[in-house]
This record gives sequence, structure tokens and C-alpha cells, in this order.
Amino acid sequence: MSLTTEQPNKTRNLVFIILGAVIIVATYLYLIIGQPADIAAGLGPSALIALAGYLIGAVLIGVGTIHRLPTNTLVLIPVAIAVNIVVGQLTAALGLPFYFDSIGTILVAVVAGPAAGAVTGAFSNVIWGLTLSPLALPFAITAIVIGVVAGYAARIGVFRTYWAPPIAGAVTGVIAALVSAPISAFIFGGATGGGTGAIVTAFQAMGNSLLGATTLQGLLSDPLDKLITFTVVMLILLALPTRFKQRFPFVRQYNVLPGMKNKKLD
Amino acid sequence: MIDLAGVTYAYPDSERNVLAGLDLSISEGSVYGIVGASGAGKTTLAKTIAGFIPHAEGGDLEGRVTVAGLDVPTATLLDVVTRVGLVSQNPFNQITGARFTVEEEIAFGLENLGTSRAEMLERVDAVVDQFGLEELRSRSPYALSGGQQQLVAIASIMVMRPSILVMDEPTSQLDPGGTRLVFDVIERVAQQGTTVVMFEHKLELLRDHADTLGVLAEGRIVLSGSPRDVLADERLAEWGVGSTRFTAAARAAASAGLVDRKAELPVSLAEATGYFAKGANR
Amino acid sequence: MSTLYLDRQSPLHRLNPVTKLVGVLAVVLVVFAVPVWWASAAILVGVVVPIAAFSGVGRRLLVICSVLVGPLLVVLVVAQGFFYPGRETILFEWGPFRFSLEGLQIAIAVGARTAVLVAATMLLLLTTHPGALMTALTERGMPPKISYVISSTLQIIPAFRGRAESILLAQRSRGLRTKGNIFRRAAVLLPLVTPLVLGVFVDVEERSTAMEARAFGSTRSRVSYAVIPDSRAQRVARWVLVIVAFAIVGLAFAGVLS
Repeated sequence: MSLTTEQPNKTRNLVFIILGAVIIVATYLYLIIGQPADIAAGLGPSALIALAGYLIGAVLIGVGTIHRLPTNTLVLIPVAIAVNIVVGQLTAALGLPFYFDSIGTILVAVVAGPAAGAVTGAFSNVIWGLTLSPLALPFAITAIVIGVVAGYAARIGVFRTYWAPPIAGAVTGVIAALVSAPISAFIFGGATGGGTGAIVTAFQAMGNSLLGATTLQGLLSDPLDKLITFTVVMLILLALPTRFKQRFPFVRQYNVLPGMKNKKLD
Repeated sequence: MIDLAGVTYAYPDSERNVLAGLDLSISEGSVYGIVGASGAGKTTLAKTIAGFIPHAEGGDLEGRVTVAGLDVPTATLLDVVTRVGLVSQNPFNQITGARFTVEEEIAFGLENLGTSRAEMLERVDAVVDQFGLEELRSRSPYALSGGQQQLVAIASIMVMRPSILVMDEPTSQLDPGGTRLVFDVIERVAQQGTTVVMFEHKLELLRDHADTLGVLAEGRIVLSGSPRDVLADERLAEWGVGSTRFTAAARAAASAGLVDRKAELPVSLAEATGYFAKGANR
Repeated sequence: MSTLYLDRQSPLHRLNPVTKLVGVLAVVLVVFAVPVWWASAAILVGVVVPIAAFSGVGRRLLVICSVLVGPLLVVLVVAQGFFYPGRETILFEWGPFRFSLEGLQIAIAVGARTAVLVAATMLLLLTTHPGALMTALTERGMPPKISYVISSTLQIIPAFRGRAESILLAQRSRGLRTKGNIFRRAAVLLPLVTPLVLGVFVDVEERSTAMEARAFGSTRSRVSYAVIPDSRAQRVARWVLVIVAFAIVGLAFAGVLS
């Protein structure tokens, strides 16, 4: 591939990614398993630990990962984020009961791999935060996880079949819900938006804890949303002419899509 | 200056040789126009001269590619792009968006090269002045017309002072006004001594601006010569290039027996006037 | 460009973007560390709002914050007021549900904290041109690739919005309805998304070439064309902000402030 995509700081980038992942996992375990005493409404140190842990972790992973992308992958990302945001806003404007704001992320993950998916997810949230609502920023890690999971799903051949993408989408949705639940609980006290907030309240009324309620709310909406998104991405990829898809080394190397010969890169 | 010999190229995972034994020699400071049917490999040849083949595209490249003193296959892409600028079709895609104003967009290449700020300012001023972009310099590049955006794209390349400018159908997505803006600028770039290689299908514009014209077909330069001779060549239609409206009219008139078949076919309005005047006198 | 930036003349607009960013981070750090509602309220009313008003962006800040935080506050008051597990003082009852003072306090504390997070970030975004922020951060070592992705996306979004609108318009003129039941509305999306996405694939090669042609692959250290003014006073102020913020966080964690 391109000679201009040297990676002068390969080790440093790997350290960033690993450190970021460790911070995220540690934060997650502290919040979920450690069950801090102030869990009830996310006041006190747990809120700060959640905010700092998730943000610093996401920044480290984002910085470490973006360095690994060659220019021809990097240029996909701004347009993919624009698709995320324009389609996501339109979906909201049409009053549809799902988010549909990660279609660009999934698409990039499928044609360019987990690292590209992670960067698209991360910066999608950054852009959302910069233009629409800063409340999106702490959820950057969820978008990263969605991109990574979608990328690995494509790599093991999920998109070679017609039946697996919806399942992989639903699984991705479950993971996304589990990752974002402590963010909404500990940082925002369960209130992240009018509609979802009402659902969280309803689950609390049924006797669930705050974290339990945000988890259930996520499980109610995320798997369906990602199932739809993965299915739509599969349909779009089926409709695209082969020459556009063949351009991507990741697609060729891992034989990601149906009906393409498996050819190794030199 | 540009010396390609026996160049054969196939894209990765493709059996088809888009370039097949191509020879091309372009002298320093000239304006060389290349015409060819769509699918003839114009973009491939443009990218080969500018180093993107093989460096960004991969694939199998054989033959000699020497451009601006560099052996392209062994040089780095970075070396090539500082000596050979490449401008492509769609202005919207060539605005990187990495910066928010026209002058910063133009300076972007120099920023990446680590050019000193004093020199950057001087070069940006010079190119803004040369291209007549003074009034647009603090506007957003996305707020410009297609023609203006293409000027910014060319300026962004010329500010890096390449000795060769390769243009791959730079006016194919522009209206007549935008096309005129671009050709005016090409004229100025050529006057200051830059070698210009133009891939273009607007034959009459090539006739007026190119010193030499080459025809790309079957992966080779099948014909080259003065624009006049090339445009009047009978075989252009076989190569899918078409002809100027003057040539086409004269050919139709000749086959209808209205004018003398032996006369040289016209490629411009002035020649056509003479051609038909002679025919009418017969 | 799809950003929130408002072009005004004010001292805050002229500050180095990094100074403002450090300020926002310091404020957010403090309100998340100090678990009392009046600390957040004091920073909001005593610091963020006056600065916004003085910088000519007060009205816009107020509108954005009410839209973003208002619904959250309602949800918080209802959810925490009725369902906070540690309730002792019951203010009133509504059917089987009891509204507690402790829950209300929690709701106000979380709400005020969220309001500060939103308002402080918005103040930065309303008074800072994204280009200036990116340049200033790149000068301090942020990878140029990040600056490219953010700047480019911010400028491409309006163009894509335009494309989406024209596709939608074309669909409507062919009789596709954008109103009606869920399935009918969802059916609008697919024919809209496909051409947008197709554009992504068609454009990628040319975009990549344009970036490489501008030597984006260079590993030399970047020199910035734009100059973002900075001063010794601001450098000192940044360090002071960092030290004060961490001192407060330290005190909070040591339990002094609760």
C-alpha cells in the first residue's frame, strides 16, 4: 500500500490503545462490580471517575487508532460521519422510534476494519458534541465499541451471509447497551433525553435500581436499532457495484463480502 | 522532463493491462494535451505520471517512468508530489476541508511540508495574486462556485511549486464560465515555465492551448503531433475521440460531395471558413 | 459550516482557544468532584452566565441550554423525586408514589452539574472558531489527522444535508410520502441513504489523491499558516486553573468538602 503511511510511533500508538482500553475496563469494573456506595444517583466520586475514565480512555484509543489508518481510509471518515449525522437527524425528524445514527460507522467498519470503525465512531460523537449536544461526548466509548465489534464481525465473515448481519447487529446492540448504561446512570443520573429518560423512570418505578433501569432501557432500544442498521448496511453493500467494494484491502484480505474471490494482498 | 518507455500497468487483482507498452516523451515547459475515449486509461496515465501509480494504487507497473528527474517506481510518493502536481475532476472532492478559509486551504500543502511561515506567506500571496483569488481568500472554500473551487484546487497545488502540473479532466464538471476560468489559469501557469499535461475532451480548447496533442488508445499513445494535425486525423473516430464541430461538418460536406475531398480538414472556425469558401468556388 | 460559533468582538472571543478549553475542563472537573448542588449552581450563575452575557452570546447560550437541559431536569425531578431509594422526608404522595426531599436534592444536584457541563462547553463552542481550536491544539501536539477529520466533517455536513434534502424533495415529487405510519416513514430512509452512501464510495479515491497530493503523508513537523495569539498571562492562567481544579478535586476526594 501507500508508502506515505509510515507509522513512526507504532509502539507509542499501541501503548495508547492498550492504556485506553485498560482505563475503560477498570472504570467499567469499578462502576459495575465495585458498586460504589453513591451508586443511587451518581453523586460523589463515582461520577467524576466515570466521566474522567470514559473520556480519557476514549481519547487514548482514538489517538492511538487514528495513527494506524492510511490516508485512503482516513478520507472515508468525514463523509461517513456526515452520513451518520444527517441520517440520524432525519430519522429523528421523521419521528421514527430508533436512532439510526451509526450507519456510516458500521459501513466503514465493514469495508475498512475495526480500527477505522473505532475512529469513525469516536469522532462521530465528537462532532455530535461540537455541533448539537455536548451530552454526546461521554458516550464516545460506546460508539468506539460499536465500530470495533462491527469490524470484527465483518472480519469473521458475518457479511458474507444474508442471515448473520441482523443477528450480529442485535448482539452489537446488547454490547452497546451494557457499555452505555453506567454512563447514563453515573454521569447523567439516568436522564439523557426526554424519551429515553421517561423509559428509565418507568423501569425505576417497577423497582429497578438506577443502573438496572438504564441497562434495561438500553436493551429495549439498542439491539433493535443496530439490527436495523446492520441489515440496511448489508442491503446497501449488496446494491453497490463490485468495483467500489473491491477497492478496499480489508474487503479483499478477509473476503468480507459475498461473491468475491479471496485474494491475498502482497 | 517526462519520459515513459514501454510502460505496462494492471490494477491490483486485475488481469487487464490498462497501459500496454506505452511510450511518451514530453519536453520541459510545454503544454501537452492527451485525448482518449472514456475507459482508455486517461486517469491511469495521469496517476502514473504523478506517482500515485504504483505508490498509492499498488498493482503491477513495468517499464521506465522518469518524471522531473525522478525514477518514479523507486522514488517515494512524497518526493514525487513535491515535483509533480495532480489536479482531478471533481472540485468538491479536492477541497480537503482540513482548513476553513481559501488561503488556509491553499497553504495546507506547505504546512504539511513544514515550509517556514515567512516563505508560506510569500508563496500564498503570490499564488492568490496570480490566480485572482484576492477577494475570496478569507471565504470558506465550500461557499465557492465549482469553477472557483477548481481554481483553489489548482492554486493549492501550484503553491507547492511543482515543475510539472498534471490535470485529469479538470473542467469536466464545470460550466462554461468555470471552464474559462480554469483555462485562463492554465495559460498563466504555462507562461511561467511549468510543464502542463492536460487530459481533456474539449478538443477546441486543447487546440488553442496545447503545444502538442497525444491520443491515448489501447493502452498506448497511438498518435501525437501538433494539435492541428492530430485533430484532422481520420482515425480519431476509430479511437473514440470524436472531432471538432468544424472537422465534423467538413467531413459531412465532403462525403456529400459539396467540397473537394482532397483539401485538408479544418479544425477551427477560420480554417472552416476557408475550407467551405474553396468548396463553394468549385 | 455546521457549527455553533457566533462571530462577536469580545475578550473571550480573543482568548487562546486552549485557555478556554482548559477553563471548561477545570470547571467540569470541579462540579463533578464536589457533590453539592450549590457549587454547580454558583459556578453556573456566578461564572458561566455572566461571562456569556458579557461576550454577547448570553441569549443563545440560554436558548441552547434550556432546550438541552430542560427535558433532562424534568426527567430527573420525577425519577429521583419519586424513586430515590434513600428517601426519608416525604413531601407529597401521588397515588402509590411518594415524592421525597432527598430525591429532589439529588435531582437538583445532578441537574445543575449537567447544566454546567453543557453551558461551559457551549460557551467555548459559541465563542471559538473551530479552525482556531484545531490550529491551537495541533500546535500543542494533537495529531494533524484529528484536525483533518474534525474540520473536514464540520464542513461536509452542510453539503450532505443539502444533498439529503434534494433527494427527499425528488422522492416527494415522485409521490413518496414522508408522513403516515412508522413503516411508511421508515420507507423514506432507504432510498435516501443509498445515494448518500454511494457518494461516499465514489468520492473516496479522489479525496485520498487530493490529500496525498498536498503531502499529507509527510512526517515532517507541521508549520501553521494561521497564527493563534497567546500570551504569558494566559499561560500562567492555564496553570493556575489546572492547579486549583486538582486541589479542589483532591479536597473533595479527601472528604473535606462533603
